[in-house]
Amino acid sequence: MFVARSIAADHRDLIHDVSFDFHGRRMATCSSDQSVKVWDKSENGDWHCTASWKTHSGSVWRVTWAHPEFGQVLVSCSFDRTAAVWEEIVGESNDKLRGQSHWVKRTTLVDSRTSVTDVKFAPKHMGLMLATCSADGVVRIYEAPDVMNLSQWSLQHEISCKLSCSCISWNPSSSRAHSPMIAVGSDDNSPNILAKVQIYEYNENTRKYAKAEALMTVTDPVHDIAFAPNLGRSFHILAVATKDVRIFTLKPLRKELTSSGGLTKFEIHIVAQFDNHNSQVWRVSWNITGTVLASSGDDGCVRLWKANYMDNWKCTGILKGNGSPVNGSSQQGIFNASLGSANTSLQNSLNGSSASRKQS
Amino acid sequence: MEKMARVTTALGGNTLSGRTMFCHLDAPANAISVCRDAAQVVVAGRNIFKIYSIEEEQFVEKLNLRVGRKPSLNFSCADVVWHQMDENLLATAATNGVVVTWNLGKPSRNKQDQLFTEHKRTVNKVCFHPTEVYMLLSGSQDGYMKCFDLRKKDSVSTFSGQSESVRDVQFSIRDYFTFAATFENGNVQLWDIRRPDRYERMFTAHNGPVFCCDWHLEDRGWLATGGRDKMVKVWDMNTTRAKEIYCVQTIASVARVKWRPECKHHIATCSMMVDHNIYVWDVRRPFIPSAMFEEHKDVTTGIVWRHLHDPYFLLSGSKDSTLYQHIFKDASQPIDRANPEGLCYSLYGDLAFAAKESLISSDSNRKPYIGDRRHPIFFKRKLDPTEQFEYISSSSALSVFETDVESGSMDWFVHTAKQYALAGRPLAELCDHNAKVAKGLDRNQVAQTWTMLRIIYSSLGTVSSANLNHSMGKGSAALPLMNSFNLKDIPSGLGSESRLDRSKGESRTENILMDSSSTLINNEDNEETEGSDVPADYLLGDVEADEDDLYMMDHENPHAEEQEYSLPQEAFPLRHEIVDNPSALDHLQDKADSPHVSGNEAETVSLTPVESFSLISISHSLYENRLPSDFFSPIVRDTLLFYAEQGDVQTAVSVLIVLGERIRKEIDEQTQEHWYTSYIDLLQRFQLWNISNEVIKLSTCRAINCLNQASTTLHVNCSNCKRPMSNRGWICDRCRQCASMCAVCHHVVKGLFVWCQGCSHGGHLQHIMKWLETSSHCPAGCGHLCEYT
Repeated sequence: MFVARSIAADHRDLIHDVSFDFHGRRMATCSSDQSVKVWDKSENGDWHCTASWKTHSGSVWRVTWAHPEFGQVLVSCSFDRTAAVWEEIVGESNDKLRGQSHWVKRTTLVDSRTSVTDVKFAPKHMGLMLATCSADGVVRIYEAPDVMNLSQWSLQHEISCKLSCSCISWNPSSSRAHSPMIAVGSDDNSPNILAKVQIYEYNENTRKYAKAEALMTVTDPVHDIAFAPNLGRSFHILAVATKDVRIFTLKPLRKELTSSGGLTKFEIHIVAQFDNHNSQVWRVSWNITGTVLASSGDDGCVRLWKANYMDNWKCTGILKGNGSPVNGSSQQGIFNASLGSANTSLQNSLNGSSASRKQS
Repeated sequence: MEKMARVTTALGGNTLSGRTMFCHLDAPANAISVCRDAAQVVVAGRNIFKIYSIEEEQFVEKLNLRVGRKPSLNFSCADVVWHQMDENLLATAATNGVVVTWNLGKPSRNKQDQLFTEHKRTVNKVCFHPTEVYMLLSGSQDGYMKCFDLRKKDSVSTFSGQSESVRDVQFSIRDYFTFAATFENGNVQLWDIRRPDRYERMFTAHNGPVFCCDWHLEDRGWLATGGRDKMVKVWDMNTTRAKEIYCVQTIASVARVKWRPECKHHIATCSMMVDHNIYVWDVRRPFIPSAMFEEHKDVTTGIVWRHLHDPYFLLSGSKDSTLYQHIFKDASQPIDRANPEGLCYSLYGDLAFAAKESLISSDSNRKPYIGDRRHPIFFKRKLDPTEQFEYISSSSALSVFETDVESGSMDWFVHTAKQYALAGRPLAELCDHNAKVAKGLDRNQVAQTWTMLRIIYSSLGTVSSANLNHSMGKGSAALPLMNSFNLKDIPSGLGSESRLDRSKGESRTENILMDSSSTLINNEDNEETEGSDVPADYLLGDVEADEDDLYMMDHENPHAEEQEYSLPQEAFPLRHEIVDNPSALDHLQDKADSPHVSGNEAETVSLTPVESFSLISISHSLYENRLPSDFFSPIVRDTLLFYAEQGDVQTAVSVLIVLGERIRKEIDEQTQEHWYTSYIDLLQRFQLWNISNEVIKLSTCRAINCLNQASTTLHVNCSNCKRPMSNRGWICDRCRQCASMCAVCHHVVKGLFVWCQGCSHGGHLQHIMKWLETSSHCPAGCGHLCEYT
């Protein structure tokens, strides 16, 4: 069961992104009102706004936390064509208003000529690195060579995706067997049949990112994309928010099977596809173990998806944005059906087990 | 190019129609102006001065006003304006400070009419009076504004702003005598045309130069200004003090502002540098442009609405030497691409969700699926007031959905991490302990795995070892314990179920999870659990028989000490059953009726039964020779892999650590390292630093082990002389005293040492914590206010 706790965000326009920090104790929101707010969780579970400041001169599309090893660092990206890195300053809290922390801009990344639609920090083991993508279809990867100096970022890679990019996700795997990988989604809505999800992989030999895969089945505008936390899996799970929710698995084929030294080939399966939102799906987010996916759509609902032992993904919960339970009869029908079928297969399997036992 | 569909709008008598189109100019444009009947446009620049007629499909060059072999500087225009009453009358502001009027009615090729050479520097702006035919106003870089009567040779009056350069002058549309002027120092002045001695009113509008201004077409009091500070401000001039009523923040300095006809709150802007786009804003929603035209490749220098009463056609000239007609239908609308929702899963399973209020307040059934979210809002003549409202005042509701303790939260992970024993005791005890921990958290499957491991590795592997008697005794002592635990604590249905097979257990936990996290499907779920209980009962007899065997065996144990060696034999049915299950998974049972039928998981199915059957046969034939525990390694390895794939890296790593060498070689180094890093990362997320450190210490991977060794140097100050400690010992080499004395008990601190970074005093963690509970000052008496957080 979930308990909804409503927060008076007090943003003056739409909130476009919410982001928890590494430890789940802090939250950042960004809005079209050009500001970012930071919320801290108090002992009793309330969220208090501890900072609110104007970050950009346009809508702020996304905000993300860096790994705390690098300090309390946020990065935001905006319609004003920039991405900015912010760091919290501690110390002079006494002369400030009590409870308000101070964030300073460490750098502005100005390379894009169009709206920067997403920004994400790379997994920690890669160092202090971030990727941005922009509406003109360019993915840029920046690195701070000195983690103590957040004001110096060098542009390491520029990947041209050909299509207007809307979202980006790093593969979080820390395994040495998996090279750095980025999935890029496009919200290009022109009637072409180009793949709207592209996956780029770092090639050690050429020291460049190259396109490893394109999910050809995704042809509608993609609004969000998220790799599941890897946690020791040998394969990757990718959630895509487009006109429906889709979940893909990407199994890297063993190196010796692929052509020499080049990119990893993947065996890609679509393991789930749900149109229960009945509308555009705007966001997908994984839980920490990568076993539950939350999605939100134009219907104003959050839906939770979970796989059973057969790798069948099912809806395990619906949350209404205002906290009220959903009472749509049609959806219940769907549940009945899916659970019913699961039930019979279960029985089969049990009968089977008894039979096998007798055989042995 | 269906995007370029033609648009027609009726404007009383005359009709505007056309499409998005452009033409190449020979040179960059500085300004454009449109003829009263919206059929012709004049483009002026340093090297261009042409009139184009706006046809249905294209621009057609009508007239080149730039005549002569070597045109004089008078032709180099900074601004151009077409008279709105006399369609033959044009005025230009030349860069050399000359104001020129042009009469298109002249029969000669050179249409130049009058020349006013009164300004000393570049003229930035010229403006005709909206109703008075012969009145022309100019504003110049030299800081003066001049009013000309076209019937006279010289200026009628000169206005001195007493400020810096004039960037824009605009006659008020409603007030006959008023005009506004903007200046480079950020000021805006209002003048009465009859009083050249002094401005009526002045106020500072912007930080830095004010490049442009525009009077509202309908509302007499509204003046919009744009400046280098990237802002567009709307001022209400009706009050005694100019009041800022709207402020739009754009992304670059604002070069031009133009109110949109027929739409009270809309205004078009373009920028002076960096940004080549034209935006149309609704001033009531100042953060997101409601429309955007992205055609130009260089800075847009002039924008003008094609007709005074038509809001859909916008003309623009640019430094990229093109002239464009933009149609509103082809505009891109950033708000449509803007994400109305934010969603994030927290570490603890809480969900933060921000959504546009209209999305969550509305009944979800009310709004059908709209493939294209674009509202054809710009084509509504009279905008629907409700929709308009939604369009301009959007806000989001933010809420956090918190999981309660027993459901989807990650408490089990934290508890497990804290309670698991990973080393320091014999294997059997570790396994039992961990099984109990798992059981206590209702994770039967994991508990079962631990029990299996105990049986595989401890009762078996020790048979051949030297201190066999001792450990066997331990093992057998623990065995009945576990069994009685099973039989006593678990209702028979559940007990049998947990013994059934892992797929069953899996589905069981699945049910529990679904139960708790769903709000909707409780009933169905219960049905399912009930349904699944039935076959469990059906199987119960079978299982109970096994358990009886086991129980019997355990009872025999204490009676016959000498039978220890035969214990493994008797235990084999049990071992067989349990071991059989994880490898067979659910596929075996699924396909047992017809083993050759292949489902959707054909490849795994074809493999698994073979393996498990062979296993069974082998175990039967070999058990007398006591299977080495190595025999089970592949299965254990598969088990661990299974857990890892399921996202439970905790179990995988814990088993890996507990079993150590027994299993280590079965799993390749890279995978192990991957598990370790993932698990350590998770532990650190939950701020379980001590456990993460323990895991690092216990890991056998070199890459993981060395995590502990990195950056272990702490720089401390001597608590006596407060200078940095340089050497390694406890004695400060400056004051020759022991540096790490506890300020509370005055003993040397070994182990956890805490000190204040401000005054360098510190001591035992416990002592300092206790001290600072009651006092805020440093225990050393130095007067420093120490803080312990």
